[in-house]
Amino acid sequence: MLDAFIAPLTETYFQKALIGGSIVAVVAGVVGCLVVLKRMAFLGDALSHAMIAGVAGGYLVMKMLFGLEAHAPGMLLGSLIAAIATVALISFVSRVSRIKEDTTIGIMYTGIFALGVVAVSIFRHYIHIDLMHFIMGDILGVADTDLWVSGFTAVVVLSILILFFRHFQIATFDPIMAASIGLPVLFLDYVLTTCVSLVVVSAVSMVGVILVVGLLITPAATAYLLSDRLDKMMVLAGFFGVTSVVGGLYLCVWLDSAGGGAIMLFCTLQFLVVLAVAPKYGLLARWLRLKRLVPQQVVEDVLTTILRYDGVTPIANIKKYVNEQPKKLKKALQRMVQDDLLIESNEGFSLTENGRVEADKVLRAHRLWEAYLAQIGTPKEALHLKAHQLEHIREGGAVDYLDEKLGSPSKDPHGKAISSEKPGE
Amino acid sequence: MKSMSTKANRVNAIDVEHLTVSYHARAALLDVTVSIEPDQLVGVIGPNGAGKSTFIKAVLGFVKPDVGTVMINGKNVQQVKGQVAYVPQRGAVDWDYPITVREVALMGRYQKIPWYKNPRKKDREAAMEALDMVRMADFAERQIGELSGGQQQRVFLARALAQGSDILLLDEPFAGVDAATERAILDVLGRAKKVGKTLVVVHHDLATAGEYFDKLLLIKQRLYAYGTPDDVLEEELLSKVYEGRLRIFSDLVKKGER
Repeated sequence: MLDAFIAPLTETYFQKALIGGSIVAVVAGVVGCLVVLKRMAFLGDALSHAMIAGVAGGYLVMKMLFGLEAHAPGMLLGSLIAAIATVALISFVSRVSRIKEDTTIGIMYTGIFALGVVAVSIFRHYIHIDLMHFIMGDILGVADTDLWVSGFTAVVVLSILILFFRHFQIATFDPIMAASIGLPVLFLDYVLTTCVSLVVVSAVSMVGVILVVGLLITPAATAYLLSDRLDKMMVLAGFFGVTSVVGGLYLCVWLDSAGGGAIMLFCTLQFLVVLAVAPKYGLLARWLRLKRLVPQQVVEDVLTTILRYDGVTPIANIKKYVNEQPKKLKKALQRMVQDDLLIESNEGFSLTENGRVEADKVLRAHRLWEAYLAQIGTPKEALHLKAHQLEHIREGGAVDYLDEKLGSPSKDPHGKAISSEKPGE
Repeated sequence: MKSMSTKANRVNAIDVEHLTVSYHARAALLDVTVSIEPDQLVGVIGPNGAGKSTFIKAVLGFVKPDVGTVMINGKNVQQVKGQVAYVPQRGAVDWDYPITVREVALMGRYQKIPWYKNPRKKDREAAMEALDMVRMADFAERQIGELSGGQQQRVFLARALAQGSDILLLDEPFAGVDAATERAILDVLGRAKKVGKTLVVVHHDLATAGEYFDKLLLIKQRLYAYGTPDDVLEEELLSKVYEGRLRIFSDLVKKGER
């Protein structure tokens, strides 16, 4: 069993994949947080696709001018230029034409991707780029240059993000305030886009064009479900990036599958698990919250029942008037004791000071609704039941409106007193 | 000496002179001249599309005027940054952003922290003081989306206070909050005024404008009036700006006189 974990670690290709993948994943996760918060996820996709034109261009230029074969820095620079050109084209077209940004992104990245594919096939005798490798990535064949490139990228991007953390935080959270204190918001945007390009370029050789956007946003989104602070979210996103790579690589070795695919599969599964069980923003937590929620209507019915009974009310009596399953009612009563609305004693429940105020509000609403219903000609025998439903409608000054419209009546149709003073809402 | 106010010889908080701002051929603001004295609660009113948001942008120094100048505390707005603290409209904020109340307040200090340094102790204290002032200190560790509408508004007010600017600019702080919250926010604004702040508030509701503010500024492309609510909430003026919805306004004017 243990051997299954240790054996791959002794292989050089696995070690390189682990190191290279982890470096890329950490920085992709951290920068991905800003991508997610700025809703630029599509941009990562666009950048990775545009890259192939840049790689082909870089390859060609270096070969034609200097006779260098597959010159890595040249191709890297080419991809960066292509990525930035794509972004510039996208923002230019969406600014000067009526075409919206999402459409422009779609047009530009497929167009430039196509340009790259055509270029690679036309010049197939001069440049040797394996398109499949480019599209699927090859994390198990990570070369030393890839490691250097990703290491360099990681250092540059992480330094920028750490040094200017506050600047990026405020520029993504409240660009108007950022500009008002003199921060170069537009420039920060460009810096961020360049960082994303760098990360994408260094990640494509490992997980491929199609999956790179996942590496950028999925760990960040996973962290988003778990954190209420940006710094914490970034740390977690980096962590989830690394776990994706580690988990994915083992998956790949055990199942003998494609490396990039296994990593993203693991990454996505990880996201789904967190989505389900995250303590605050997860689905399970949400479901539990909804289940635990005591309906306001039940609370108000309990309050008025006790108010009408006037004194310590036995639970049997509450059960009679409040339409709720006994188990849920019991829970509601416990909750109301916790919320300082009720006091529990051996004989039953009574109202606290707070509870009394709340109950008065509901009762006043009930009686005003009754008076109103009588005025608009509701049959007398239906008054109470209808008002019982309507008494919960109190927001937006509804009750005060009734009071004013009816001329502040002092008695309801049954002759019960309506308190004239408005209890503070 | 134009930018000096005559009484007490204090520099005006905001001096706008002959300001024209245009988008293409259309002037959003035309020849607006107004001086806002310090320690005032000023409401900016006007119909939709009247140039209220352009006015805000001009005071924040975001627009390049075609003609005219905006002076903040006697200095050209283009040259001084961060003199005006801005409180955004509630709808303009991403309430799911991973940020706590304490961090938002601390943001007010960001301008004063050099980029290579972490926030200092006195920055943290200033942020907490500001939260104390709006009675939100107990919520410091909450994520901002967990607060009620009025609490959210107060957190951003705290950020503006922590910024230490003398001038606060609020974009529709009363939009979409209930009456009790409205009073709570107004109370905080009043306290900010007492400690010497000038507050400029974009406001939508003419019915409450007279009651809430010391001065009102009525714009629709041009400046129609600036003065006490009694002077501004005048039937003739309002009908000119709001074009013939007189019946409603005659009612308002009475309220203003009351």
